Amino acid sequence: MNIKHHPTDQTLMAYASGTLSQAMELIVATHMTLCPHCREKAASFEACGGAILESVDHMAMNDHSLDHVMAMIERESANENARFEELTPMRRVAVGPSITGDAIPSIPRPLANMLPDNILSLEDIPWRILAPGVKQFPLKNVQSKGSISLLKIAPGVSIPDHGHGGHEMTLLLKGSYIDDIGRFRAGDVADLDDHNDHQPIADTAEDCICLIATDAPLKFSGILPKLLQPFIRM
Amino acid sequence: MTGMATNRRKPVNADDARQYADWIVAVAATRDREAFSRLFAHFGPRVKAYMFRFGGTAENAEELAQEAMMQVWRKAHLFDPQKAAASTWIFTIARNLRIDRFRQRKHIEVDDADPTLIVDESPLADDIVNRDEHAVLIHAALQDLPPDQKLVVELSFFEECSHSEIAERLDIPLGTVKSRLRLALTKLRGGLEAVL
Repeated sequence: MNIKHHPTDQTLMAYASGTLSQAMELIVATHMTLCPHCREKAASFEACGGAILESVDHMAMNDHSLDHVMAMIERESANENARFEELTPMRRVAVGPSITGDAIPSIPRPLANMLPDNILSLEDIPWRILAPGVKQFPLKNVQSKGSISLLKIAPGVSIPDHGHGGHEMTLLLKGSYIDDIGRFRAGDVADLDDHNDHQPIADTAEDCICLIATDAPLKFSGILPKLLQPFIRM
Repeated sequence: MTGMATNRRKPVNADDARQYADWIVAVAATRDREAFSRLFAHFGPRVKAYMFRFGGTAENAEELAQEAMMQVWRKAHLFDPQKAAASTWIFTIARNLRIDRFRQRKHIEVDDADPTLIVDESPLADDIVNRDEHAVLIHAALQDLPPDQKLVVELSFFEECSHSEIAERLDIPLGTVKSRLRLALTKLRGGLEAVL
């Protein structure tokens, strides 16, 4: 995968510090599944968190805090069954049901986990028509300060020119689009703040599928998009 | 405020970092209670301060710090010293617990077992880096930041402050917060690239 556009450092730091909305986290984690470069950066920002944990304040624990925790541990240990013995130390992967069937899922897990169980690939998404050439599937169980949806954009269709009252992030999952910033392909992220105005156009013969999250309603310019806005809810 | 103390006396060094990692490994391998007590003594008060900064009472912060340390005990087998320093790993446990309790949701993460995961095959990939030394260098890079930039980074990590809230708190324009953060990140990245 040849990823050219990444989340900004500010966004990766906010991801690591745990201050993004869940919708933005979902986009970052899905992108990072495909992008070892950003995984490494986020790990460095988490290490900043660790370094700050080491160097900022501390606050004394209550007098019998350790005794209390040790007592909980003893109670738990009494119940600890063979489960722990089976685990080799420093195992990388959590125990749990494995999802790997015979087919390799095409949707990265952070996103797949937030979709209904019957959706196994991008082909299974029950789209609803939003506007001519634009279909939408909102992710209802992801917490967001604005909106988060999958969008499917037909070739040649453009999303109306809009600016952002806040943070907007888009992850391309299939196809490509082009706007003032450049050309975006699968795996690329457009990480935009309130200063950017853009008008993306799906620019290949293929449908373009993307995951788009906003932390505030978009501001469309032009009268028709304004009329559409309540309907689009983004 | 009561119970709060600022600890800037001692620079973090790689030997300490390795010691903390060894304790977690000992907890995983032999359920070593002595090693756990030492981890508790070092990290408990830090995690408590972290929780306290996100709001709520000292009692609440105490309870969350205890819960985080219980998770250190329970999840010790998941700790991989090749992937993270002890302080980094414990920070992520505290962060995830905070999001779970204060926002009633899970922090969304990359799943290492995801079949769609794309792995960097270049020889400079993460296993080469010594995580403990990496942590020390990051610590040094943070300490080297000018105080105004360092404060903005600390507030971003240790309080749920948006950029505009940080601006309000420090009584500076929003643009200044953003530019300080941008400068800090550029410097940190410079410091980190020396390692990577």
